Amino acid sequence: MAEGQVIDGIYFNEVIEDAGLDEGTKKLTPEKIERVINDVLKGETGARLKTYVDTCIHCGLCSNACHYYLSRDKDPTYSPAGKVKQTMWEMIKKKGRVSPTFMKRASQIASTQCCVCMRCAMYCPFGIDIAYIMSVVRRICHLLGITPLYIQDTAHSHAVTMNQMWVKNDEWPDTLQWQEDEAREEIPTTRIPLEKEGADIMYSVIGPEPKFLAQLLYQAAIIFEVAGLSWTMPATPGWDNSDMAMYTMDSEIMGRVKRVHFETARRLRVKKIVMGECGHAFRSVYDRGNRWLGWKMHPFYIEHAIEFYYNLLKSGKIKIAKKYEEPVTLHDPCNVMRGRGLYEMARYVVSEMCADFRDMQPNREHNYCCCAGGGVINCGPPYKMTRMLGNRVKAEQIAATGAKVVIAPCHNCHSGLEDIVSHYKLGTHVKFISDILYEVMEKPGAV
Amino acid sequence: MHGLYNFVRGPLAWVAFILFFGGILYRLISMLLGARKKDGVVFDYFSLYYGLRSIFHWIIPFANRNSRQRPIFTIVTFAFHICLLAVPILLLAHIILWDESFNISWWNLPDSIADIMAIIVVACCGYFLWRRLTQPEVKFVTFASDYVILAIVAAPFITGFLAYHQWFGYKFMLILHMLSGEVMLAAIPFTRLGHMFYSPFTRAYMGSEFGSVRHAKDW
Amino acid sequence: MKKGTAALYIGMGVLISILTFMLMPAYSQEDIVSLADSALGDRERPAAVFAHEEHNEKAEIEECNVCHHVYKDGNKIEDESSEGQGCSDCHNIKEGYPTRPLMKAYHDLCKACHLENKKGPITCGECHPQN
Repeated sequence: MAEGQVIDGIYFNEVIEDAGLDEGTKKLTPEKIERVINDVLKGETGARLKTYVDTCIHCGLCSNACHYYLSRDKDPTYSPAGKVKQTMWEMIKKKGRVSPTFMKRASQIASTQCCVCMRCAMYCPFGIDIAYIMSVVRRICHLLGITPLYIQDTAHSHAVTMNQMWVKNDEWPDTLQWQEDEAREEIPTTRIPLEKEGADIMYSVIGPEPKFLAQLLYQAAIIFEVAGLSWTMPATPGWDNSDMAMYTMDSEIMGRVKRVHFETARRLRVKKIVMGECGHAFRSVYDRGNRWLGWKMHPFYIEHAIEFYYNLLKSGKIKIAKKYEEPVTLHDPCNVMRGRGLYEMARYVVSEMCADFRDMQPNREHNYCCCAGGGVINCGPPYKMTRMLGNRVKAEQIAATGAKVVIAPCHNCHSGLEDIVSHYKLGTHVKFISDILYEVMEKPGAV
Repeated sequence: MHGLYNFVRGPLAWVAFILFFGGILYRLISMLLGARKKDGVVFDYFSLYYGLRSIFHWIIPFANRNSRQRPIFTIVTFAFHICLLAVPILLLAHIILWDESFNISWWNLPDSIADIMAIIVVACCGYFLWRRLTQPEVKFVTFASDYVILAIVAAPFITGFLAYHQWFGYKFMLILHMLSGEVMLAAIPFTRLGHMFYSPFTRAYMGSEFGSVRHAKDW
Repeated sequence: MKKGTAALYIGMGVLISILTFMLMPAYSQEDIVSLADSALGDRERPAAVFAHEEHNEKAEIEECNVCHHVYKDGNKIEDESSEGQGCSDCHNIKEGYPTRPLMKAYHDLCKACHLENKKGPITCGECHPQN
């Protein structure tokens, strides 16, 4: 990654090779750009975007909301309003008559230099939703075919397989069976019930869990078994609740993926959907998919793992045998904190499990983003340094707690923080809540 | 003098007020109709309770984290906006004109206080100008139009202050004052000064989303 | 200023000036240089500059009740004048009805006439100069 270059009259604060952007840009023509921008601005957006743009008084107060801006020594090209200036303002001002290189830069900004974490919406005195504006930019880039390669591949996987990781239909039940077998070695009565119609809960996870984090399925099975719950997982597509198409703003695919997920739950006649420790998937199911499909709220109660664990601990269905000793801190993922307000529940769960909990500053809805979410980590290796240099504040925030373990109840945050921790040599481990819960809970029936 | 005064005080004032109120009405109606057409979500999730909750946290100084992080800016911006609204509405000389034209009058600020408040407005404009010129994160998002907007706001207060003190060119200054006030009124609905009437809506919508959907605070 | 009201004033002014031709002022007012009416209490601005004799000469006002009028039931009494009374005897400070509040009475009387004749001060600072 090279820093700070002007290419074709457009300033790139980072110069990164990405086949998706590089090759996509070559195919752009000014006419196509103009048509697509105006199609989106006139056809897909309306009063909300116009009002946001007309209301912004260019005060710059949103800047210190952004982890990129703060971590990049307050470089204004990373400030939220600065990013809007380099993208949407210019498109509107020029009525879509912008160059291919401009669009390439716009895609870089919207897809890799903004995590759509919505922290800036809480710092704008007018509550202007800059994440929404960046999503519109992403939408334009999607329609122009200039989305970063890795995340585009993930979106393709969603389109083809209805899961994020090209997991084949037979691999999924195989993996569940494998983890069930493993779990039965510990508690022989453990089951991962497949296709159990009329169960209370459908448990859904993201594609990476069967792909390379299978122990999470094991842990979930143990937790469900100990809590004695009526639950099931689908054997068909619809088991994956993740949605990178949401982040590439391929809304049509997002809608298909969400529909399959909801319809699977309907087919299984469950009372609620419990989702694993993932943030973006929760956003896609709880906040975005339902809207695209035309539901104001969801046809099922949507419960994130944090709320699920909270209820289990609160009701005594899960008891703690011995609290976790090492000092821990908690990372508040945007999609379940700013997106669902689960911060107090998360603190209850962590305090129940751990003897030494140390909060980061700032915390709860004001916590800094992990710099991996919003699809940024899914844009792949070319952007690793974008994430590392773009989130020094997170490293400082973690280091200041002196904790040995960072609990991150979100997959993107988890992976992003692992990178941060190793890049800044913090010497801490990153864990899911279920990692610790599994370790410290009472397991009656274990052999 | 009589002719010019009558023109600025009469027809031009009417034009300014019609543009101001008519413009605001037009912008708000077209916003709401436009939202109805393409952004129905705004109405679906709108919540009066959470909207007001959010507005209160942002119109009370230091009631939100950003304003606590920037104490100087917070003090300046609140002083600025309070004086900006209070002086034109509560100035005795203005009320006399309302009384003269429409037989309505209300409580007025003492001239000496209004004088200080006008100075505060101009000084705050100076602070905003300084920010635009020197602070990188503000400078980067500043356009020529931002300076024009700032000048439009500062002008009525500078000319009003000078006219009140009658230090030089009183009559000319007064005409200039009336003209600049009319320019500002007419500009509000059609420039980013429109945040005056847009912001309660954007704030309330964000408050509604955060309150009733996200169950989180937005301050 | 409503047109009807203004017209009414002019009409009345003309009538009164004819009818009160015989009732000349009882005493001279050459000492008056400003309208420092004590009834106004604390003023926001300095008292209005007003040289009585000079003004009337310039404005060619001969009848006292052009300004020193008397109203009854909303109508100006044409052959009476009120130069012996204080303005505030009728025009209260705040409660205007049925007469105008004192400050407004002064403003309306002066400014309406000036606008009508396109002569004389009409802006704040012309009557109330600062220092």
